[in-house]
Formats: sequence, structure tokens, C-alpha cells
Amino acid sequence: MRSRSRHVSWLLVPVLAVGTVALATGVATAGVSAKGTKLAGATLNGSGSTFQQAYQQEATARFVKKNSGITINYSGGGSGKGRTDFTNQVVDFAGTDGLFKPTDPAPKGGPYDYIPFVAAPITVSYNLSSVKNLQLSADTIAKIFSRQIKTWNDPAVKADNPKASLPSTAITVAHRSDSSGTTQNFTQYLTTAAPTSWTLGSGSTVPWPADTQAGNGNAGVANIIKSTDGAVGYVDFSDARAAALTFASVKNAAGKIVAPSVAATTAALQGVKLAADGTYNPLNSPNAKAYPIASPTWMLVYQTQTDPAKGAALKAYLTFILTDGQKFASSVDYAPLPPAFVKATQARVNAIKA
Amino acid sequence: MAVTDTIPEQAPRPLVGGDRPPGALADRVFRALALGAGLLVLVILGLIIYEMTNQSLPWFRAEGFNAIFSDNWVPSAGHYGALGLVVGTLVVGAIALLIAVPVSVGIALFVTEVAHRRVRRPIVYTIDLLAAIPSVVFGLWALRALETPLANVYSSVSDALSGVPILGALTANPNPSGASYMTAGIVVAIMITPIITAITREVYATCPPAQKEAALALGATRWEMIRGSVFPHSRSGVTAAVIIGFGRAVGETIAVALVIGSSPRLTEQIFGPGDTMASVIVNSFGEATGTERAALIGLGVVLLAVTVVIGVLARTVLAGRQRRLGVA
Amino acid sequence: MTTVAPRAPATPARPDSIYRSRDGHRSRKARNTVATSLISASFVLALVPLVGVVVFIVQKGSGVFGWHFLTTDIPFSDRDFGGGMKPAVVGTLLITGAATVMAVPLGVLGAIYLNEYGKQGPLARLIRFLAEIMTGVPSIVMGLFIYLLWVLPRKQNGLSGFAGALALGCLMLPIVIRTSEEILRVVPEELREGSYALGSRKVRTIRTVVLPHAAPGIVSGALLAVARAAGETAPLLFVIGIVTSTNTSIFNGPNTTLSQQIFRGATSPFVAAQERAYGAALTLVLLVFIFTALARIVTSLYARRSSAGG
Repeated sequence: MRSRSRHVSWLLVPVLAVGTVALATGVATAGVSAKGTKLAGATLNGSGSTFQQAYQQEATARFVKKNSGITINYSGGGSGKGRTDFTNQVVDFAGTDGLFKPTDPAPKGGPYDYIPFVAAPITVSYNLSSVKNLQLSADTIAKIFSRQIKTWNDPAVKADNPKASLPSTAITVAHRSDSSGTTQNFTQYLTTAAPTSWTLGSGSTVPWPADTQAGNGNAGVANIIKSTDGAVGYVDFSDARAAALTFASVKNAAGKIVAPSVAATTAALQGVKLAADGTYNPLNSPNAKAYPIASPTWMLVYQTQTDPAKGAALKAYLTFILTDGQKFASSVDYAPLPPAFVKATQARVNAIKA
Repeated sequence: MAVTDTIPEQAPRPLVGGDRPPGALADRVFRALALGAGLLVLVILGLIIYEMTNQSLPWFRAEGFNAIFSDNWVPSAGHYGALGLVVGTLVVGAIALLIAVPVSVGIALFVTEVAHRRVRRPIVYTIDLLAAIPSVVFGLWALRALETPLANVYSSVSDALSGVPILGALTANPNPSGASYMTAGIVVAIMITPIITAITREVYATCPPAQKEAALALGATRWEMIRGSVFPHSRSGVTAAVIIGFGRAVGETIAVALVIGSSPRLTEQIFGPGDTMASVIVNSFGEATGTERAALIGLGVVLLAVTVVIGVLARTVLAGRQRRLGVA
Repeated sequence: MTTVAPRAPATPARPDSIYRSRDGHRSRKARNTVATSLISASFVLALVPLVGVVVFIVQKGSGVFGWHFLTTDIPFSDRDFGGGMKPAVVGTLLITGAATVMAVPLGVLGAIYLNEYGKQGPLARLIRFLAEIMTGVPSIVMGLFIYLLWVLPRKQNGLSGFAGALALGCLMLPIVIRTSEEILRVVPEELREGSYALGSRKVRTIRTVVLPHAAPGIVSGALLAVARAAGETAPLLFVIGIVTSTNTSIFNGPNTTLSQQIFRGATSPFVAAQERAYGAALTLVLLVFIFTALARIVTSLYARRSSAGG
């Protein structure tokens, strides 16, 4: 009996290879909708901030419905990676919650624009069944998150909430385990608004005290808050709403106590100036109606586009975001820009050479 | 049925002086190809070392000796001392070994000494299925299904042991969410068990049956036979398996990142949150620029160095064993 | 007449404290029972996480799993329910397939060099050593390496399935080399000598005698390397980008894989994305189990053949 099995095993290799390709093709061609060719037209690739990811997904979905020849892939991955990818021209646009530093290498595609398009509040979410409308001032928040205040019935918290009855529950602080633009903006706010009480600095990660808890991504922090009585943490608005968390109202720079909302965030932007390069800082905005922990975010694009098809697609996408995109922003829990911002930004988008 | 049926197609041509045997060129070409493929390993590894060291120089320049030997990982303040991360990596590896080695040795013994011959292959296949499950799936399971029950265990144990001299300090301050060195160690232990089992199994299988039978003939119980014949023979092999398992544990990234709790601080509290080099890279690379990025790449270089050291150790132990026992 | 007191029997040369026990037979038996039970228990202990994970994934993923799931695109938005993981399935197969096509032939060639040509020479020993080191390189380091060296210089063509395939290929190469070399080593030297005696050159010997004999083992080892590569996440995170619709081109544009989608879903706040992640986990585990089972079948064919004296 000659070794038939030997020949069988040889056959296995090409059979497997053909089988894999066939399976891949079969799965790929099954269920092809009438969307037409996927990657003809133009494909725009973006990466960067995960803060704006939920918005990018919605905008892409709606934009592609109107322009079936265009594909937009936004892979997130963090603002730092986005800026690196953008500098090396690996992506056509990047999302970033923070600005380039002077020490960063110059982007290789020449002059670039910061394009503001939405903003969103960072909530201070908490889990206290007996307190429905917690109010906090910047100093109190700073002291809670740096563990100078450890129980809910601390005098500072009581001072912020004269009418509420606060339990003696211990406070569990939840923060991000991964680097994040949200952490950056939250800690930046605390450094600006409560400089004497907040000493841990600001950055995408900070040296949180040892007796705090870390969660991976906004979802991780939200999970900790939801499952721990007495927990408090900072979570992006859209993720906090998705997790059905309760938010605290925060006292803003004008002394008014404001709950996080899309409208209050737009108000925060209205209180600050938009610089010529597109940058602005809405944290601790002086506007009376502003929610003080309003987080900015931008898209990075090069002023001169080398690929005409991509350039046209990019300009169309940006224009869409600045027009229709402003209208549905609040339905996905992002704040639209004030009209003055939109006008100035649209002018700069129009000036992009495609 | 002529005789010519059995003559090969080309009758061999007698070689004359100076002739090269046919096919010499094909041989040389093939040899070159094969050599090239082998050299590829050298090239890739060399490129990895070069590129990563190059990109991480700003970190070493900024921190100098402190890069690895000071516990001061505060990127927001520009400090990148990674001692807490290095020790954290070793702690997770140690916990994983403490759990995985006894279990792996037990399984290997089970397969080679205790179980019925026919059951051996299915058991081995089952353990190898553990190796097949991707790290990210283990991480997802640990994050969603394991952390909460473990958190309860930690707080009970911590309460029970509080005040006890060393153990009390080790188990103090359990993380209420369950994310901790211990959880990461448990998950990694599950993932390195198959490889340690496989190597240990082979080591036990090469134990000379004569010695085992002699022990049994003298009236030893099975356990005594194992202790007397199998263990002494396998010491270095099992040591090598342990070292290799440790190497794998050190490199585990995704599952650890999801359950370690992210606290880059040097601490002895294994029920509390921590960090390893690999998990910090995964968690922070997305937002890092400048010196922090160089520091993260530098962590990759340190990981690589640790892997090399472990590889050399394992090799030395195995080579010593081969020399002493003459076993391939 | 003095009787010489009988000498006590010579104690065995080996210290036999292990055979002696203070209370005699019963305690030795008890110790044996305890030890044997612990040994058997360790196998059961290892089964616990295996069953736990499989049950968990099946429970959570079976809700969305199905042919529709495998053939529908990923929704644009994480919050939208429904959709499927087709792009990820195709991406996993494509990228793992490309990595295999690169790593397996090169790995087998390298193993042939090590076992047939280099043997114990200094260069071969060095390569063997380095291959062993390389099997231990953490996958995240491979990913960083490809990101820095391949993706960044390539600008717009940087993020691609091919970059992911390169990273996976680098991970697979040393594994394939080492397992293939092991298999080649087991091929009896007599077969080779017989071939040389008949006048074959080395290439022909390798082609007609060594490789066919080693093929089942090599194929089985390759399948196991493929199974491992299909589950890798960390190396792909920085280099393949993402897509929501299927990209069948491996060189052109970003791609996605099941492992990447699982990782994203694990950290997403939206229940819809989490559901799809469980479905993707179930798909991936099934895929990996299939490859592992195939490897087993090939190995058992090999074993049967060897025992049949083929």
C-alpha cells in the first residue's frame, strides 16, 4: 500500500489555499448591495481622536449615502497617532483633541489647517442613588479627583449642594487607563479653573492617586461608575448617555451652575475667540450659559491637496460637516459650532487647493 | 515484459575528467535560496533592533540611567522612569508561573504517567485547544466574566489576611473592580499552560522506562516512582520549560492591557492595579508624541532585551541537559 | 561456636528516604492517593477556563451569529444595531493568507538550509539561535516595528492589509522555521543516503525524498502557525487602519480583521458594537478551531502512515 496519505497531505496545501481564497471571495461577494463599486471614486482615510469617532461615523454614514462613489475610513487610534499619521501623510485627514507642540516635527505635506467642526461636553458622572442633581464647583471636583475629599458628605460637597442630603458613602474615583484626549482636556480644565486645588498637572495621562480605579476607554470608566455605589468619573457626553449615567452640574467661570448639554457647549464656544489658524479654547469659558468642561476637537487637513479626486472629496466632506453636519450633531450628542465659527471655518475650507 | 522496461529514462553518462555532475547549477541556486531564507531571520531581527533603538534614543538621552531604574512614570510632567513597569511585567510573569507551572506539571504527569494510554491523545489535543484561543478573546472573557467574581475573592482574602506579616501587605488594598496584577497573572497563566505542558510532557516522555520500572519493581507507589525516577531526570528540562513559559508571559499584551488596571507605580499589592511594559505601550501609543513616544518604543526595546536574555537562559539550560544526558 | 551476627542488608546506594516512611505502608498509600488525585485534578483545572471561555463566547455571540452576520458589512456607526462582520472575516482570511504565503515557503526554505546544508556550522547555529529569539519577540514589538519602518515612510499607501501581513509574517516565520526543522530532522538519514547512492543531487533528494516525507508534519506546523496568526491583535492595531465595507485588495487601502473588531468592541460603550464584537469573537474562535483540527487530521494521517511503514 503506497502512502496515499502522503499525497493527500500534499494536496491539502493547494486545496487549503484555493479554499481560503474561494471562501474569502465567496463571503466578499455574497450580500453585495446595490451601493455600487466600493473603492472607486475616492477613498479618504483618517485616524486620530477617539473623542470625535462617534460623530465621524454618523457623518460618514450620511455623507456616503449622498455620494456613493466615496468611502471614508476613520480608524481612531488616538490623537497622538493621528498627528503622527498626518505628519507622515499616511492619512488624508486626522482627528485631534490637542494641538501640535513646537517640538513636534513639521508635517510633511506643507501648511495645514485646524478645522473645528463640533465640540462636546465632558461629563462628571456619578453613582449616588439618593442624589439626583449633584452640583459641583471646580475646586470641589479637583479635590475629589485628587483624593483630598474622600466621602460624599464632606463639607466642600455640602457647600456646593446646600439643599441636598448627602450620604456618608466613600467616593470611588474612576479615570482612564489608556492615554486619552479626554483626560487631557479634563485635567487642563482643572488646572485652569482650580489651580490651587489641582496639583497633578495635565496631560493624556496623569499620576492619579493609588486608591483610584482605571477603566479602558470611556466604556471602561462608565462601567466602573455604573457598578460602584459612590463612584464618580469623567466620561465623554455621548458615551455617558449611551451608558445612561447621571451627570453633575458644574459651576462655570461666570458663577452659574450649568448641566452638561449640547446647547451649553455651544454657548461655551460662543464665549471664546476663534483664532485665525482655527484653534480655540472653550475650557472654563466666561459665557454665562456655558458648560465649563467643553472639549474642543479638530480635523487636520493640508492646505494643498495633491490628489484631485481626494481633494475634492475632502472639501465636499468638510463642507457637508459644516452644513448638514451641524444640524444632526446634537442628535448624536455633539455640540454644533456657533454660526460665527462656521462662517470663518467654511471660508478656510473653500481656500483649500484641491 | 522486456528488460528495457526497467531501464531509467536517461542512462547515466560516465563522467570524464573535468566534468561537473549534472544539476550542479540547480543545486547551487537552491542552496543560495535556502541560505537567503535563513539569513532573512538575521536581517529582520537586525532591522528591528536597529530601528527601535534608533527611535528610542531621545528617551535614553533624556533619562539616562533613570530610564529603567527609577520609578517615575509621569508623562504629563515629562518623567519617563520605567522601573514600576519593568517590575510590574516581572510580577505578572511570576504570578503566572506560580499558577501555571504546578498545573502544567500535573497535566504532563497525568498524560505520561497516570492516564490510560488511549486517553492521552485526546487530552493533549484538548490542552492545545487552550493555546488556540486568541489572546483578545481571553481578554474579553476575563474583562467581562472574570473580573467581578475575582474582585469578591480578593476582598475576602484581603480581609482574612489583613495583619498577617508578609501576606497581609501583599494582599492589601484590593481593587474593587478586580483589575489587578493577580487577575492579569491568572489570565496569562491560562495562556502559557499549553506551552509549558507540551515541553514538560516531552521531557517526561524521554525518561528511561527502565528506571521507572525498577522503582516500581522495588515496591514504590506511583507517586514515589515519579518523585524518584521522573523528577530527578527532568529537572533541567522542566526548568527550560519554565523559562520559556516566563518568556511568553512577559510578552502577553492585549489580555493584560484589558485587565491590569493601569497604575504605573512600583507596588507590592498584587490585588491592586498595576501596569506592564507591553500594556502601557498598547494603552498609550495612540496619544503619545515626542519623548513619550520614544519612551514607549524604548519599552519595546527593553521587552526585546528581556526576551533575548530569557532565550539565552533557556538555551543554556537545555544545552546543559543535552550534554549531561546525551538526549537530543 | 560463635555465630556471626547476620549483617544488616546493605542499604541501597541511592538515599532512599523517599521509600522509607515513619508510619509504614498506610501513609505511603495515602500520599500516593493524594498526589494522584492532585495530578488528575490539574487536568480538570485546566479545563475550567477552556470551557468557561467557549461557553461564554458561544452564549454571547450566538445571538448575532449566522450567515447574515458573516455576509453583511459593518455599520458605519457603533451605535447602530444589526450589520455583520463580513469585512473583518474577509480581512482576517486575506491578511492571514498573505502572511502564510510569505512566511511558510520562506520558513521551510530556511529550515531546509538549517537541516540539510548548514547543519551545525557557525552560521546555521547563529540563525537557529536568532530564530528561537524571534519566536519570543512580543507581538506588539513587531507591530511597532512595521509601523515605524513600513507604514510611516509609505505615506498614503502605508496603512494596508499588506502591512498587517508583513507583521504577521514576521511573527510566523521563526515558528515555521523551528517546527519545520524539527520535522526535517526526523526524516531518516537512510532515505537521503539511499537517494544519493542512486545518483541524485541534493536538490533532487530534497525535492523527491525529504520533502514528501516531511510534508504532513510541515503542513501541520504551518496550520498551527496560521491559527496563531489569525488571532493576533496587537501587531495589527497600528498598521491596518480600518474599514466598514469589504476591501478585497490587500495592497490598496486599509483593512480590518476580526481580532481588531473584538478589541474595539471590548472597549466600546455602545451595546450594538459590543454585540458584534461577541459575534466576531465566536467567528474567530470557530476559525481557529477549524485550522487546529485540520492540523490534527494531517498529523494523524502522518502518524498512521509512519506506523504503517510507508
